[in-house]
This record gives sequence, C-alpha cells and structure tokens, in this order.
Amino acid sequence: MRKKILLLVLLLILCFFAGVLLGSVPLSPLSVLRCLTGYDKDSTAYVLIYTVRIPRAAGAYLAGMGLATSGVLLQYVMNNSLASPNTIGVNSGAGFAVMLALFLGNGQVSRLPAAAFLGALVTSLAIFGLAYMADSSRTTIILAGITVSSFLNAGINTIKILDTDISVNLTSFMIGSLSGITFDKLKIPGTAILTAFLITLLFARSVNVLGLGDDIARSLGLNVPVVRLVVLILSSVLAGCVVSYAGMLSFVGLIVPHICRRLFGNDARYLLPCSALLGASFVLGCDTLGRMLFAPFELPAGVLMSFIGGPFFLYLLLKKKGGRRINA
Amino acid sequence: MLEFCDVSISCGATPILGDISVCFEKGAVTTVIGPNGCGKTTLLQCLNGSSKVTSGTILLDGTDYLAMPFKERARCISFLPQVRTIIPALPVKTLVEHGRFPHLGFSRKKSEKDIAIVNDVMNFTHVDAYAAQYADTLSGGIRQRAFFAMALAQDCDYIVLDEPATYLDLKGQRELTEMILQLKNQGKTVILVLHDLGQALRISDMLVIMQDRKIAATATPKECLRQHIIEDIFDVRLKEFSDGEGCYYFFY
Repeated sequence: MRKKILLLVLLLILCFFAGVLLGSVPLSPLSVLRCLTGYDKDSTAYVLIYTVRIPRAAGAYLAGMGLATSGVLLQYVMNNSLASPNTIGVNSGAGFAVMLALFLGNGQVSRLPAAAFLGALVTSLAIFGLAYMADSSRTTIILAGITVSSFLNAGINTIKILDTDISVNLTSFMIGSLSGITFDKLKIPGTAILTAFLITLLFARSVNVLGLGDDIARSLGLNVPVVRLVVLILSSVLAGCVVSYAGMLSFVGLIVPHICRRLFGNDARYLLPCSALLGASFVLGCDTLGRMLFAPFELPAGVLMSFIGGPFFLYLLLKKKGGRRINA
Repeated sequence: MLEFCDVSISCGATPILGDISVCFEKGAVTTVIGPNGCGKTTLLQCLNGSSKVTSGTILLDGTDYLAMPFKERARCISFLPQVRTIIPALPVKTLVEHGRFPHLGFSRKKSEKDIAIVNDVMNFTHVDAYAAQYADTLSGGIRQRAFFAMALAQDCDYIVLDEPATYLDLKGQRELTEMILQLKNQGKTVILVLHDLGQALRISDMLVIMQDRKIAATATPKECLRQHIIEDIFDVRLKEFSDGEGCYYFFY
C-alpha cells in the first residue's frame, strides 16, 4: 500500500516537471531549475514558466483532483459504480450554468465558479431525486443522467448559437481544455476545490458507511439524508469548479476512481486521496502530451484523455484476473 | 426493557401499522413471528429509522428512544436488517470494523478497545478465518455471519436481528441458535424475526405473534402451545416430540 502511494506521488512530481519542461517551446531542465530557484527573473523562460506553464499545471492538477474525487463521492452516494460527474450529467449541469452566466452576465468571469457549482448541485439533486422517487435500479440512474446531459448540452449549444459574442470556444469547452489558464482565473475555483477536498477527507468514514447501503448505514447511526446532502454538495463544488475554468472534461471522474479501486480497494479513506493524486497526474499528463504530439497544434486535454483513458479502461474491464471486481 | 406504546408506523407515505403496543423484556430472547406481510419487519425497522413512527412513543429502559440522536441509538440497539441490496467489496475485517462506527469520535480513530471488540466478535461468529477475504466473494452463509459480526461489534445491550437465518444452511442455523443463547447468557437482550416456527419455539423466552398488521398475541412458547395460538394463526397443525435433549416441533 505504502509503496503504491509513493509511486503515485512520484508520478505526480514527474508529471509536473514534464508539464513545465515540455511544450511548443521546450525548456532545458537547467533553465527551469534556475527559474524555479529565482534566478534569471527577466528571461523569457521565467515569464513562460510563471505565467503559462505553472498555472496550467496547477489547473490540471486541480481539475484531475476535483473530478476524480467527485467521481468517488458520487459512486458512493448513488451506490453505483457507473456514476461520475460526466455520466450522471453533473458536468453538463455545470457547463450549462456557466454558459447561462456568461449569457446573462455579459461575460463576467468571477461568478462562473459559483454558477457552475449551482448548476452541478441542482443536476445532482435532480438525478438523485429521480432515482429515489422511482426507486430505480442502477441502470435507470445512468439513463436518467445521460438524458439530462443531452438535454443540457442542447441548452449549451442553443445559448452559443443565440449569443455569438460569448467568449468561449465551444468545442474546447465541451471537450475540456486547459489552455489559457492564469493564476488569476484559478484563484476562486482553486481555493474552493482544495477546501472541498479537505472537508471530503473528514467525511471518508461516513462515506464508507453510506456505501454499505441505506439500511445498514442507518443501523450504524449515520444520519443518512444529511451525510448524503453534504456529499452531494461537496461533489458538486469539486466538479462544478473544474468545469468553470477547464470545461467539461470527461472520463477522469469515471476511470480514475475505478483504477484506484483496483489498486487500493474500496476503502474511501484511501480511495479519496489516491484518486486525487492519480487524477491530477492523469490530467496533467494528458494535457502535456496534447501540447506535444502535434505541436504547434494543440490537442485539448479532453481529447487525449479519451484516447488514452478509453482503451485503458476497456483493458481493465476485460482483464478480470488479478484485479478486484468493481464494486456494485 | 423496550416498550412500544401506541406506535403507528408508516413506510414512506403509506401507513402500515397502527397503535401497536408491545413490550420486549430485558435479558430475554423474544421472537416476532407471523405470516408473510403481517408487518414484522416494518415494526422493527422503525428502530433504525427505515420506517417512520408517526405517533406513539418507544421507551428504552424508560427513556424516549426516538428522541435520541442517531449515533446514540446505534450505541443502544444494533439492528441487522434483512435485505442485502448491496454486498460491499470489502474485506470481512473491514466490514466488521464498520460496526464500531457509532462509537468513534470525530477523529474516527480506532482505539485499542475497538480493535479488541472486533477481534472478539470475529472469533465469536467464527469469521476470523475469512478476515482478509472480500465479502462479495464469500458464500451467502459466511457473508451473513460477517454481517452478524458487524452488528455485534456495535456492542449494544439490545440486538435486533431480522431473519438472521436466511442464507444459512442447517449447521449454520444451529450455530446461530447457539450464538443467540450465548448472547442471552452474557445478559444481552435479543429480538428476532424468524420464519422457522420450530426454531422460534425452541430458543425464545417470549413470542410476539402478529397477524394482519396487529399484535395477535404475546405469550411464552409453552402458553402458545397450550392455547393452540400458533395453530390458529398460521392455520397449521402441530405435533410436539420430546426426548432427553429437548423438544422438537413438527408442522403439517
């Protein structure tokens, strides 16, 4: 266990250096080291590192961490291994709210995280309410999520068509992209994501008990409705804030929790921090690769994630032996 | 003593039981029996909040049980529900450790006492050999014992088991009976829902018989037999055999 966690941390550090060194203008490790330690404050490398590469790496870290932990939380709260911000429509809800806020608020950016959070929360409550009312099976929740997603995506497209002034590149917003991130844009969502993540860790044991099913959770003295609401709010903050600056990155919220389940088991106390670590590395790794592959053209991180994550996930699904079966 | 005083209970918005009054003696084994759909599970489910009490009170040793916070309730009564909609993919030991949840403070750190209790109950229910195995890979019987161990890890004076014999083979049922009697000897109060009338007659000090969502009778097994209560309510005939070791019941 400890070894595996150490490997995840190493991967995280490795991804950071890759993200800072590589790109359309490759930097030498030496110049990066000099910049990071404070020399060469006037060089182009210094400007590039501090205004472009590091903010972008931080954005990728936060995005991966937010979406992966949000996915873990949703899987517990819905008792459904297919739940993730993307599959149950939380990302679309946040995306729709972002577009709506841009449309109504004349492009003010500072309110976007709050709008995205509200959009995410309303959507997740709606999906959970639907599931609860219909006493529905696992498949129904996912079907409801897919339906709500496509409905909200239609809304996103409509807004973009009606208001051509909106300063959003729709394609990269809907697929998720980290280009153009600055520290300024990250301030509010980043703080919110980190805070929500820390609170999430405090709830890990309660989340575990929630995963035993409502009846047993109640027998163990868990206040099920309150904990469920808190967890839904936390997962909405995590996913919504990411969508507000990085767009609707898919996949990371589904596959990272599953990979971590296989590596670390189903204990939320390990699953949450490990998913955060792996999610962060995964998004930054994909973003860096996307900048490299066809430079000077840039593939959005979301595209790379689907390219790499999809086949890898299928491989995991097919390879039954050795790994743990995915929890229902 | 656990007393239900004029309790009405509903599931969701549907009222199921009305004005039920029944008393479970401390230190005894009491079994709730009755035909399918008579409301046995609903009656007990209100102890963990799965069914809602709409009027009446429940007194636990004289204090208002429903006024207690959820955690406090889970430290007084451990209730093992019947249905397993979710089989967690967790090692048996981790599952049993969840039974300590109501006793953990905010830091959620396990104390030495927690660890000792978990080891004890795993020993008691004979699941220690499966400690590292995942619950979803085990047979129904062992899984049931693991859940039983989890409920015992709550370390409550009152233990309520809804259909604990489901999933158990004959040997498992015999072991369950032995464990229940041992718990009684340790001073625990055990409340059961059982379908096996013979088992209910053998191990209970008191039987609560439900019919058509009402308490039809509360009586000791001896009285039940003498007054032919079971035969009337379940519409069966009963023969009793006894040898040196105990009584056996045959229904036809």
